[in-house]
Amino acid sequence: MTGSLSARQAALPSPAPAPVPSLRARSLFAPIDAGGRAETVARRLIQAIRLGLLLDGERLPPESALAGQFGVSPVTLREALATLRTMGLVETRRGRGGGSFVRAPQGRQPAHLERPLRLLSPHELRDIGDHRAAVAGAAAKLAAERALGGDVTTLRGHVERLYGARTLTERRRADARIHIEIAAAAQSPRLTRQEMDLWSEVGDLVWLPVTEAQAPAVAGEHEALIDAIESQRPEQARLLAERHVLAETERLLDLRLRLPAR
Amino acid sequence: MSGPPRPTTAERGAPVPVAGAEPTADAGLTSGADLGPDAGPGSGADLGPDAGPGSGEDPGSDAAAGSGGGWDERCAAVLADVTWRVEQVLAAVAALGEEAAAIAAQAGRAGRLLRRTDLTALRPTVAGVLSEHADLAVGAGVVLAPGALADAPRCIEWWWADQGAGLSQLYVDLDPESAEFYDYTTTDWYRVPERTGHPAVAGPYVDYICTHQYTFTVSVPVSVEGRFAGVAGADILAAQVEQLALPGLSGLGRTAVLVSGTGRVIASNTAGVLPGVPAQRQPGCAELVPAAGPGATPGPLPWTLLTGPA
Repeated sequence: MTGSLSARQAALPSPAPAPVPSLRARSLFAPIDAGGRAETVARRLIQAIRLGLLLDGERLPPESALAGQFGVSPVTLREALATLRTMGLVETRRGRGGGSFVRAPQGRQPAHLERPLRLLSPHELRDIGDHRAAVAGAAAKLAAERALGGDVTTLRGHVERLYGARTLTERRRADARIHIEIAAAAQSPRLTRQEMDLWSEVGDLVWLPVTEAQAPAVAGEHEALIDAIESQRPEQARLLAERHVLAETERLLDLRLRLPAR
Repeated sequence: MSGPPRPTTAERGAPVPVAGAEPTADAGLTSGADLGPDAGPGSGADLGPDAGPGSGEDPGSDAAAGSGGGWDERCAAVLADVTWRVEQVLAAVAALGEEAAAIAAQAGRAGRLLRRTDLTALRPTVAGVLSEHADLAVGAGVVLAPGALADAPRCIEWWWADQGAGLSQLYVDLDPESAEFYDYTTTDWYRVPERTGHPAVAGPYVDYICTHQYTFTVSVPVSVEGRFAGVAGADILAAQVEQLALPGLSGLGRTAVLVSGTGRVIASNTAGVLPGVPAQRQPGCAELVPAAGPGATPGPLPWTLLTGPA
């Protein structure tokens, strides 16, 4: 399975004078003034919701308090909240008992997720997969060198949760925690942040193409990875993590290419 | 993983058992007793970077100023310079814990359980801890045992210092029904004081919930009418502790490495030994021996100073 992906990778001309890829356009030409601050705040909130740190139905602190917490002006915060409202992640109710409430229903239907998948080109999906494999691979290798018994116990708890998960959301959350905890076991705040960013960016998609019948096997991949970490086999851990991400990427690419054109 | 070559016991002075670390009563600490070798996630087996095969010896062996003389004392002083500062934060946290216990006891006398709003009274004390120890403590608060509150099954009242802007409160998912709630009862900084009844120092670990940095969390048990009701604690950035330790380590003129109770390197004065990595697994630590450890310093931190040959 690694073969087909690297072949695909090799077939891509590297710095092609092709049309500017949308991802590059987005990151390179994004405004960095006040708009950038609102975007940063929105991203942090989205991340917190996706990772389950903020729950469905939970009321956010008052706008002034939240603005103070982020160190931004109330105007910037409102701009960020507007973004979340547009995405359907926050609902604002007026009057008594009002405020901004998190909307993150548990059983989000895959149909909702087709749109974000459609927005990503196969090239972008491959690139995100490469980034994820690099981060997960490095984190797994370092975790195998550095994790202590307690770290492994934590990881096993999340794998159990993954086996027991029944909904897409539960699976995504347990999976995200496994990868984030592996990066934490690598003793690297930077890799941990990278995993958190990657998971909040594309975490919703990872389990989308996985059928119910495939789910235990995917959980098993995590278990094998943690076995390698526990037995302090860094290269094995890296290989398993990379393969795991590449398999996920391949499933996503496959699903993306099968989406009816519109 | 091979056991590092070690000096003979005679060379290093008589061994002092870790468990016998002098429980010098420190201001504010509920007990000066040791954090134990199990302050960390694993077991006592994790303690010594040198707990390799056949380690009949003890990390604290130099404490009993044997033949080392001035060197042992210098090493003990370098270690104590660091542990002392962290223990000051621990003492401040102990005071916070006592205040929380007093608030709970007051509620008890009024014939009711503690409520969340009662805990807002702790805010000034938390602000005090954070401003008084601004060089080390970046967050502090109390965390309650499940069931200790009348109006919430679980509760974290934790704040961190904003740059100049006062305190910000930590919000986390505490709903056990949620697929991914933050179960603080499994963290070392909660579990160890719960189990031992003593202060603990967890870490260094990557804290992706609050500080998003490499962090230590120091904590003390809070008990109400003799029952464990939660912990009071503070977050300390590992980078700050490292900064604090480096001048002393460098001043020793030999390879010198500060190691946590779980055996992780906290600070090292050589590029050959990496911070954050278990000392036992680093070839650069093979030649190192404990020069000062729990017992050489008055406080309860289970940290050890390893040094190389002259």
